Amino acid sequence: MRESIRLELPAAVTALPTLRMLLGGLAVRLDFSLEELEDLSLAATELLRAAGDSERLESWSVEMAVVDDQLHVVAGPYRSPDLRHRLEGAADGAACLDLCRLLSSTVDSFAVDDDDEGFSVTMVKGRRRA
Amino acid sequence: MTPRDDRRPSDPLDLGSLPGQPRRFRDEDDDEETTPVAPAFTGRGRDESEKLDKYLLRRYHLHGDRKAREQLITMYLPLVRSLARRYASRGEHFDDLVQVGAIGLIKAIDRFDLTRGVELTTYATPNIVGEIKRYFRDKGWSVRVPRGLQELNIRLNKVIDELVPKLQRSPTINELAEAASATPEEVLEALETSQAYNSISLQASPNSESGDEDAGLIDYLGGPEAAYETMEDRTTLAPGFAKLDKRERYILHLRFFEGLTQSQIAERVGISQMHVSRLIRRSLEKLREEIGDLDRPEVSRVSGEQ
Repeated sequence: MRESIRLELPAAVTALPTLRMLLGGLAVRLDFSLEELEDLSLAATELLRAAGDSERLESWSVEMAVVDDQLHVVAGPYRSPDLRHRLEGAADGAACLDLCRLLSSTVDSFAVDDDDEGFSVTMVKGRRRA
Repeated sequence: MTPRDDRRPSDPLDLGSLPGQPRRFRDEDDDEETTPVAPAFTGRGRDESEKLDKYLLRRYHLHGDRKAREQLITMYLPLVRSLARRYASRGEHFDDLVQVGAIGLIKAIDRFDLTRGVELTTYATPNIVGEIKRYFRDKGWSVRVPRGLQELNIRLNKVIDELVPKLQRSPTINELAEAASATPEEVLEALETSQAYNSISLQASPNSESGDEDAGLIDYLGGPEAAYETMEDRTTLAPGFAKLDKRERYILHLRFFEGLTQSQIAERVGISQMHVSRLIRRSLEKLREEIGDLDRPEVSRVSGEQ
Protein backbone atom coordinates (compact mmCIF):
# COMPACT_ATOMS: atom_id res chain seq x y z
CA MET A 1 0.00 0.00 0.00
CA ARG A 2 1.27 3.41 -0.93
CA GLU A 3 0.50 6.37 1.24
CA SER A 4 1.85 9.75 0.29
CA ILE A 5 2.01 13.37 1.34
CA ARG A 6 2.62 16.11 -1.18
CA LEU A 7 4.16 19.26 0.14
CA GLU A 8 4.66 22.67 -1.42
CA LEU A 9 7.08 24.78 0.59
CA PRO A 10 8.58 28.23 0.17
CA ALA A 11 12.15 27.71 -1.01
CA ALA A 12 13.62 29.05 2.20
CA VAL A 13 15.68 27.50 4.96
CA THR A 14 13.00 28.49 7.43
CA ALA A 15 10.61 26.07 5.73
CA LEU A 16 12.87 23.07 6.20
CA PRO A 17 11.74 22.25 9.74
CA THR A 18 8.28 21.53 8.35
CA LEU A 19 9.77 19.06 5.93
CA ARG A 20 11.89 17.44 8.62
CA MET A 21 8.97 17.11 11.02
CA LEU A 22 6.87 15.42 8.37
CA LEU A 23 9.70 13.08 7.48
CA GLY A 24 10.06 12.36 11.18
CA GLY A 25 6.41 11.51 11.53
CA LEU A 26 6.59 9.02 8.69
CA ALA A 27 9.89 7.66 9.98
CA VAL A 28 8.30 6.95 13.35
CA ARG A 29 5.65 4.86 11.69
CA LEU A 30 8.33 2.89 9.89
CA ASP A 31 10.30 2.62 13.13
CA PHE A 32 13.38 4.19 11.58
CA SER A 33 16.39 4.64 13.77
CA LEU A 34 17.46 8.14 14.67
CA GLU A 35 20.41 7.91 12.31
CA GLU A 36 18.25 6.69 9.44
CA LEU A 37 15.94 9.62 9.97
CA GLU A 38 18.81 12.10 10.24
CA ASP A 39 20.41 10.73 7.09
CA LEU A 40 17.20 11.02 5.13
CA SER A 41 16.54 14.51 6.47
CA LEU A 42 20.05 15.58 5.55
CA ALA A 43 19.72 14.17 2.03
CA ALA A 44 16.35 15.83 1.49
CA THR A 45 17.39 19.22 2.76
CA GLU A 46 20.67 19.22 0.84
CA LEU A 47 18.89 18.25 -2.36
CA LEU A 48 16.29 20.97 -1.93
CA ARG A 49 18.87 23.61 -1.14
CA ALA A 50 20.96 22.57 -4.14
CA ALA A 51 17.87 22.70 -6.33
CA GLY A 52 16.92 26.05 -4.89
CA ASP A 53 20.38 27.40 -5.67
CA SER A 54 20.51 25.95 -9.17
CA GLU A 55 17.06 26.89 -10.29
CA ARG A 56 16.37 30.02 -8.27
CA LEU A 57 13.18 28.38 -7.11
CA GLU A 58 10.50 30.21 -5.19
CA SER A 59 9.01 27.03 -3.86
CA TRP A 60 9.99 23.44 -3.26
CA SER A 61 7.73 20.62 -4.28
CA VAL A 62 8.22 17.36 -2.42
CA GLU A 63 6.28 14.14 -2.19
CA MET A 64 6.90 11.73 0.65
CA ALA A 65 5.55 8.23 0.33
CA VAL A 66 5.53 5.15 2.50
CA VAL A 67 6.03 2.15 0.25
CA ASP A 68 6.09 -1.10 2.17
CA ASP A 69 8.82 -0.54 4.74
CA GLN A 70 10.57 2.19 2.82
CA LEU A 71 10.25 5.92 2.69
CA HIS A 72 10.38 7.48 -0.77
CA VAL A 73 11.05 11.18 -1.17
CA VAL A 74 10.44 12.63 -4.61
CA ALA A 75 11.51 16.17 -5.35
CA GLY A 76 11.01 18.14 -8.55
CA PRO A 77 10.38 18.77 -11.32
CA TYR A 78 13.66 20.44 -12.12
CA ARG A 79 15.17 21.62 -15.36
CA SER A 80 18.62 22.83 -14.50
CA PRO A 81 21.44 21.02 -16.31
CA ASP A 82 23.66 22.24 -13.50
CA LEU A 83 21.62 20.36 -10.92
CA ARG A 84 21.57 17.26 -13.07
CA HIS A 85 25.32 17.48 -13.40
CA ARG A 86 25.64 17.77 -9.63
CA LEU A 87 23.52 14.68 -9.16
CA GLU A 88 25.69 12.71 -11.56
CA GLY A 89 28.78 13.43 -9.51
CA ALA A 90 32.32 14.16 -10.58
CA ALA A 91 32.86 13.12 -14.17
CA ASP A 92 36.43 12.04 -13.58
CA GLY A 93 35.44 9.81 -10.70
CA ALA A 94 37.44 11.90 -8.28
CA ALA A 95 36.46 11.81 -4.68
CA CYS A 96 34.83 15.06 -3.73
CA LEU A 97 32.08 15.95 -1.38
CA ASP A 98 29.51 16.77 -4.01
CA LEU A 99 25.76 16.31 -3.92
CA CYS A 100 26.07 12.91 -5.53
CA ARG A 101 28.38 11.62 -2.81
CA LEU A 102 26.30 13.18 -0.10
CA LEU A 103 23.11 11.50 -1.30
CA SER A 104 24.87 8.21 -1.94
CA SER A 105 26.15 8.24 1.63
CA THR A 106 22.83 9.00 3.25
CA VAL A 107 20.06 7.20 1.35
CA ASP A 108 19.79 3.64 0.11
CA SER A 109 19.36 4.80 -3.46
CA PHE A 110 18.46 7.80 -5.51
CA ALA A 111 17.46 8.16 -9.12
CA VAL A 112 16.93 10.94 -11.62
CA ASP A 113 13.75 10.39 -13.63
CA ASP A 114 12.93 12.36 -16.76
CA ASP A 115 9.41 13.50 -17.42
CA ASP A 116 7.59 16.04 -19.55
CA GLU A 117 8.43 18.89 -17.22
CA GLY A 118 12.11 18.11 -16.82
CA PHE A 119 13.34 15.63 -14.25
CA SER A 120 12.65 14.67 -10.69
CA VAL A 121 14.79 13.03 -8.05
CA THR A 122 13.60 10.03 -6.05
CA MET A 123 15.39 9.08 -2.87
CA VAL A 124 14.66 5.81 -1.08
CA LYS A 125 15.47 4.99 2.50
CA GLY A 126 14.52 1.82 4.31
CA ARG A 127 14.91 0.42 7.79
CA ARG A 128 18.13 -1.49 7.99
CA ARG A 129 18.00 -3.54 11.12
CA ALA A 130 16.29 -6.90 11.25
CA MET B 1 50.60 17.38 41.10
CA THR B 2 53.86 18.11 39.47
CA PRO B 3 56.25 19.96 41.71
CA ARG B 4 56.29 23.58 40.72
CA ASP B 5 59.43 25.16 39.52
CA ASP B 6 59.49 28.59 40.94
CA ARG B 7 62.64 29.66 39.25
CA ARG B 8 62.06 32.68 37.15
CA PRO B 9 64.18 35.19 35.35
CA SER B 10 65.91 37.68 37.49
CA ASP B 11 64.90 40.36 35.04
CA PRO B 12 61.44 39.89 33.61
CA LEU B 13 62.33 42.03 30.63
CA ASP B 14 65.16 39.76 29.65
CA LEU B 15 63.68 37.28 27.22
CA GLY B 16 66.81 35.20 27.20
CA SER B 17 66.55 34.50 30.86
CA LEU B 18 63.00 33.17 30.68
CA PRO B 19 62.50 29.45 31.12
CA GLY B 20 62.72 27.80 27.73
CA GLN B 21 59.56 25.80 28.05
CA PRO B 22 56.39 26.66 29.86
CA ARG B 23 55.74 24.38 32.76
CA ARG B 24 52.93 21.91 32.65
CA PHE B 25 50.27 21.33 35.18
CA ARG B 26 47.65 18.76 35.98
CA ASP B 27 44.16 19.92 35.24
CA GLU B 28 41.66 18.75 37.79
CA ASP B 29 39.80 16.67 35.20
CA ASP B 30 42.80 15.27 33.45
CA ASP B 31 44.72 12.14 34.14
CA GLU B 32 47.85 13.51 32.64
CA GLU B 33 49.67 16.73 32.61
CA THR B 34 48.20 18.62 29.73
CA THR B 35 48.62 22.31 29.58
CA PRO B 36 51.08 24.89 30.66
CA VAL B 37 49.72 26.79 33.55
CA ALA B 38 49.20 30.47 34.00
CA PRO B 39 51.50 32.05 36.52
CA ALA B 40 48.55 32.75 38.75
CA PHE B 41 47.98 29.01 39.05
CA THR B 42 51.55 27.92 39.50
CA GLY B 43 52.18 28.93 43.01
CA ARG B 44 54.35 31.76 41.83
CA GLY B 45 54.07 34.87 43.80
CA ARG B 46 51.48 37.35 42.69
CA ASP B 47 54.12 39.93 41.87
CA GLU B 48 56.10 37.46 39.82
CA SER B 49 53.03 36.43 37.87
CA GLU B 50 52.15 40.02 37.15
CA LYS B 51 55.67 40.76 36.00
CA LEU B 52 55.72 37.81 33.64
CA ASP B 53 52.31 38.77 32.26
CA LYS B 54 53.41 42.35 31.72
CA TYR B 55 56.62 41.22 30.13
CA LEU B 56 54.81 38.98 27.66
CA LEU B 57 52.15 41.59 26.98
CA ARG B 58 54.83 44.15 26.21
CA ARG B 59 56.64 41.73 23.96
CA TYR B 60 53.42 41.22 22.05
CA HIS B 61 51.97 44.73 21.99
CA LEU B 62 55.16 46.73 21.59
CA HIS B 63 57.32 44.34 19.60
CA GLY B 64 54.74 42.22 17.82
CA ASP B 65 56.12 39.05 19.37
CA ARG B 66 53.60 36.38 18.37
CA LYS B 67 55.24 33.76 20.54
CA ALA B 68 54.67 35.92 23.60
CA ARG B 69 50.99 36.09 22.68
CA GLU B 70 50.80 32.34 22.19
CA GLN B 71 52.50 31.79 25.52
CA LEU B 72 49.96 34.00 27.25
CA ILE B 73 47.11 32.11 25.61
CA THR B 74 48.60 28.81 26.66
CA MET B 75 49.32 30.01 30.16
CA TYR B 76 45.77 31.21 30.71
CA LEU B 77 43.86 28.28 29.19
CA PRO B 78 43.48 26.75 32.67
CA LEU B 79 41.62 29.89 33.69
CA VAL B 80 39.36 29.45 30.65
CA ARG B 81 38.75 25.82 31.60
CA SER B 82 37.98 26.78 35.13
CA LEU B 83 35.42 29.36 34.04
CA ALA B 84 33.94 27.13 31.33
CA ARG B 85 33.39 24.40 33.88
CA ARG B 86 30.85 26.61 35.65
CA TYR B 87 28.67 26.51 32.55
CA ALA B 88 29.25 22.89 31.57
CA SER B 89 26.02 21.64 33.08
CA ARG B 90 23.86 23.68 30.74
CA GLY B 91 23.77 21.18 27.94
CA GLU B 92 26.69 22.42 25.92
CA HIS B 93 29.87 20.44 25.50
CA PHE B 94 32.67 21.42 27.79
CA ASP B 95 35.28 21.47 25.03
CA ASP B 96 33.16 23.84 23.00
CA LEU B 97 32.76 26.14 25.98
CA VAL B 98 36.51 26.12 26.47
CA GLN B 99 37.02 27.08 22.87
CA VAL B 100 34.45 29.85 23.13
CA GLY B 101 36.01 31.06 26.34
CA ALA B 102 39.40 31.03 24.64
CA ILE B 103 38.07 33.58 22.19
CA GLY B 104 37.35 35.86 25.14
CA LEU B 105 40.84 35.25 26.44
CA ILE B 106 42.46 36.08 23.14
CA LYS B 107 40.38 39.21 22.77
CA ALA B 108 41.45 40.25 26.26
CA ILE B 109 45.10 39.70 25.42
CA ASP B 110 44.80 41.58 22.16
CA ARG B 111 42.89 44.49 23.66
CA PHE B 112 44.87 44.74 26.84
CA ASP B 113 45.94 48.30 27.54
CA LEU B 114 49.45 48.36 28.94
CA THR B 115 49.00 51.88 30.27
CA ARG B 116 46.27 50.84 32.66
CA GLY B 117 47.28 49.29 35.90
CA VAL B 118 45.09 46.24 35.59
CA GLU B 119 46.15 42.63 35.89
CA LEU B 120 45.55 40.42 32.89
CA THR B 121 43.58 37.97 35.04
CA THR B 122 41.27 40.73 36.17
CA TYR B 123 40.79 41.96 32.66
CA ALA B 124 40.49 38.54 31.01
CA THR B 125 37.99 36.95 33.39
CA PRO B 126 34.96 39.10 32.45
CA ASN B 127 35.95 38.82 28.80
CA ILE B 128 35.99 35.03 28.99
CA VAL B 129 32.76 34.81 30.93
CA GLY B 130 31.15 37.36 28.64
CA GLU B 131 32.09 35.36 25.58
CA ILE B 132 30.64 32.18 27.06
CA LYS B 133 27.44 33.96 28.05
CA ARG B 134 27.18 35.54 24.62
CA TYR B 135 27.59 32.09 23.15
CA PHE B 136 24.61 30.83 25.09
CA ARG B 137 22.58 33.92 24.39
CA ASP B 138 23.33 34.64 20.73
CA LYS B 139 24.76 31.48 19.31
CA GLY B 140 22.88 28.93 21.33
CA TRP B 141 19.23 28.71 20.60
CA SER B 142 18.91 30.74 17.42
CA VAL B 143 15.14 30.78 17.77
CA ARG B 144 13.16 30.87 20.94
CA VAL B 145 12.67 27.32 22.12
CA PRO B 146 10.41 26.51 25.07
CA ARG B 147 12.34 25.46 28.13
CA GLY B 148 10.58 22.09 28.20
CA LEU B 149 11.86 21.25 24.74
CA GLN B 150 15.34 22.46 25.59
CA GLU B 151 15.35 20.19 28.61
CA LEU B 152 14.03 17.27 26.62
CA ASN B 153 16.73 17.88 24.05
CA ILE B 154 19.38 17.75 26.75
CA ARG B 155 17.76 14.62 28.19
CA LEU B 156 17.75 13.01 24.76
CA ASN B 157 21.47 13.58 24.44
CA LYS B 158 21.99 11.51 27.54
CA VAL B 159 19.43 8.88 26.56
CA ILE B 160 21.04 8.41 23.16
CA ASP B 161 24.45 8.03 24.74
CA GLU B 162 23.02 5.36 27.01
CA LEU B 163 21.00 3.50 24.39
CA VAL B 164 23.58 3.29 21.61
CA PRO B 165 26.01 1.04 23.52
CA LYS B 166 23.15 -0.87 25.07
CA LEU B 167 21.37 -1.60 21.78
CA GLN B 168 24.56 -1.66 19.70
CA ARG B 169 22.77 0.47 17.13
CA SER B 170 21.09 3.80 16.76
CA PRO B 171 17.84 3.88 18.75
CA THR B 172 14.49 4.41 17.08
CA ILE B 173 12.36 7.44 17.81
CA ASN B 174 9.93 5.22 19.69
CA GLU B 175 12.72 3.83 21.85
CA LEU B 176 13.95 7.33 22.56
CA ALA B 177 10.45 8.41 23.49
CA GLU B 178 10.04 5.55 25.91
CA ALA B 179 13.43 6.08 27.51
CA ALA B 180 12.90 9.84 27.83
CA SER B 181 9.31 9.48 29.07
CA ALA B 182 8.03 11.51 26.17
CA THR B 183 5.86 10.97 23.12
CA PRO B 184 7.43 10.36 19.71
CA GLU B 185 6.03 13.70 18.59
CA GLU B 186 7.75 15.45 21.48
CA VAL B 187 10.99 13.67 20.66
CA LEU B 188 10.77 14.78 17.04
CA GLU B 189 10.05 18.32 18.12
CA ALA B 190 12.93 18.32 20.57
CA LEU B 191 15.28 16.90 17.96
CA GLU B 192 14.17 19.59 15.57
CA THR B 193 14.99 22.24 18.14
CA SER B 194 18.56 20.99 18.12
CA GLN B 195 18.67 22.22 14.54
CA ALA B 196 18.08 25.66 15.97
CA TYR B 197 20.96 25.17 18.30
CA ASN B 198 23.95 26.68 16.62
CA SER B 199 27.53 26.53 17.57
CA ILE B 200 30.05 29.16 16.70
CA SER B 201 32.74 28.32 14.29
CA LEU B 202 35.53 26.76 16.21
CA GLN B 203 37.78 27.23 13.26
CA ALA B 204 37.11 30.92 13.00
CA SER B 205 40.19 32.81 13.88
CA PRO B 206 39.88 34.22 17.36
CA ASN B 207 41.33 37.37 15.95
CA SER B 208 38.96 37.70 13.08
CA GLU B 209 38.10 41.20 14.14
CA SER B 210 41.68 42.25 13.82
CA GLY B 211 42.22 40.39 10.62
CA ASP B 212 44.61 37.97 12.19
CA GLU B 213 44.90 34.83 10.14
CA ASP B 214 46.26 32.66 12.89
CA ALA B 215 45.33 29.05 13.23
CA GLY B 216 41.91 28.31 14.63
CA LEU B 217 41.24 27.59 18.25
CA ILE B 218 41.37 23.90 17.60
CA ASP B 219 45.10 24.33 17.22
CA TYR B 220 45.35 25.61 20.75
CA LEU B 221 43.48 22.72 22.23
CA GLY B 222 43.96 19.04 22.69
CA GLY B 223 42.21 16.12 21.06
CA PRO B 224 42.89 12.94 19.16
CA GLU B 225 45.43 14.71 17.01
CA ALA B 226 47.12 11.58 15.74
CA ALA B 227 43.96 10.39 14.04
CA TYR B 228 43.34 13.80 12.56
CA GLU B 229 46.84 13.95 11.19
CA THR B 230 46.49 10.53 9.62
CA MET B 231 43.46 11.82 7.79
CA GLU B 232 45.29 15.01 7.02
CA ASP B 233 47.81 13.11 4.96
CA ARG B 234 45.04 11.94 2.73
CA THR B 235 42.94 15.02 2.49
CA THR B 236 43.75 17.96 0.35
CA LEU B 237 43.37 21.19 2.24
CA ALA B 238 41.43 22.72 -0.62
CA PRO B 239 39.62 26.00 0.06
CA GLY B 240 36.35 24.43 1.14
CA PHE B 241 37.85 21.99 3.58
CA ALA B 242 40.46 24.43 4.74
CA LYS B 243 37.71 26.42 6.41
CA LEU B 244 36.88 23.44 8.59
CA ASP B 245 38.84 22.59 11.67
CA LYS B 246 40.67 19.31 11.89
CA ARG B 247 37.92 17.58 13.80
CA GLU B 248 35.27 18.67 11.31
CA ARG B 249 37.36 17.52 8.35
CA TYR B 250 37.99 14.24 10.07
CA ILE B 251 34.31 13.70 10.79
CA LEU B 252 33.22 14.53 7.23
CA HIS B 253 35.92 12.24 5.95
CA LEU B 254 34.72 9.37 8.14
CA ARG B 255 31.08 9.95 7.30
CA PHE B 256 31.19 10.56 3.56
CA PHE B 257 34.38 8.89 2.43
CA GLU B 258 34.83 6.04 4.89
CA GLY B 259 31.11 5.36 5.21
CA LEU B 260 31.00 5.26 9.00
CA THR B 261 27.72 5.92 10.77
CA GLN B 262 27.29 8.76 13.20
CA SER B 263 27.45 6.33 16.11
CA GLN B 264 30.64 4.78 14.83
CA ILE B 265 32.15 8.23 14.37
CA ALA B 266 31.03 9.23 17.85
CA GLU B 267 32.79 6.22 19.30
CA ARG B 268 35.95 6.84 17.34
CA VAL B 269 36.16 10.56 18.05
CA GLY B 270 34.97 10.28 21.63
CA ILE B 271 31.94 12.56 21.45
CA SER B 272 28.21 11.91 21.47
CA GLN B 273 26.24 10.89 18.41
CA MET B 274 24.16 14.04 18.71
CA HIS B 275 27.31 16.09 18.70
CA VAL B 276 28.53 14.29 15.58
CA SER B 277 25.21 15.10 13.96
CA ARG B 278 25.53 18.77 14.86
CA LEU B 279 29.12 18.89 13.67
CA ILE B 280 28.22 17.34 10.32
CA ARG B 281 25.42 19.85 9.78
CA ARG B 282 27.61 22.73 10.86
CA SER B 283 30.49 21.58 8.66
CA LEU B 284 28.25 21.33 5.62
CA GLU B 285 26.91 24.78 6.40
CA LYS B 286 30.42 26.15 6.62
CA LEU B 287 31.34 24.50 3.34
CA ARG B 288 28.28 26.03 1.77
CA GLU B 289 29.20 29.46 3.06
CA GLU B 290 32.72 29.05 1.82
CA ILE B 291 32.16 27.66 -1.64
CA GLY B 292 28.53 28.47 -2.33
CA ASP B 293 27.45 24.87 -2.57
CA LEU B 294 28.85 21.41 -2.16
CA ASP B 295 29.39 20.81 -5.81
CA ARG B 296 32.54 22.47 -6.79
CA PRO B 297 34.83 19.49 -7.12
CA GLU B 298 37.79 21.76 -7.62
CA VAL B 299 37.43 23.15 -4.14
CA SER B 300 36.06 20.28 -2.11
CA ARG B 301 38.12 17.51 -3.53
CA VAL B 302 39.68 14.83 -1.46
CA SER B 303 42.63 13.13 -2.99
CA GLY B 304 45.09 10.44 -2.30
CA GLU B 305 43.21 7.91 -0.28
CA GLN B 306 40.85 6.67 -2.89
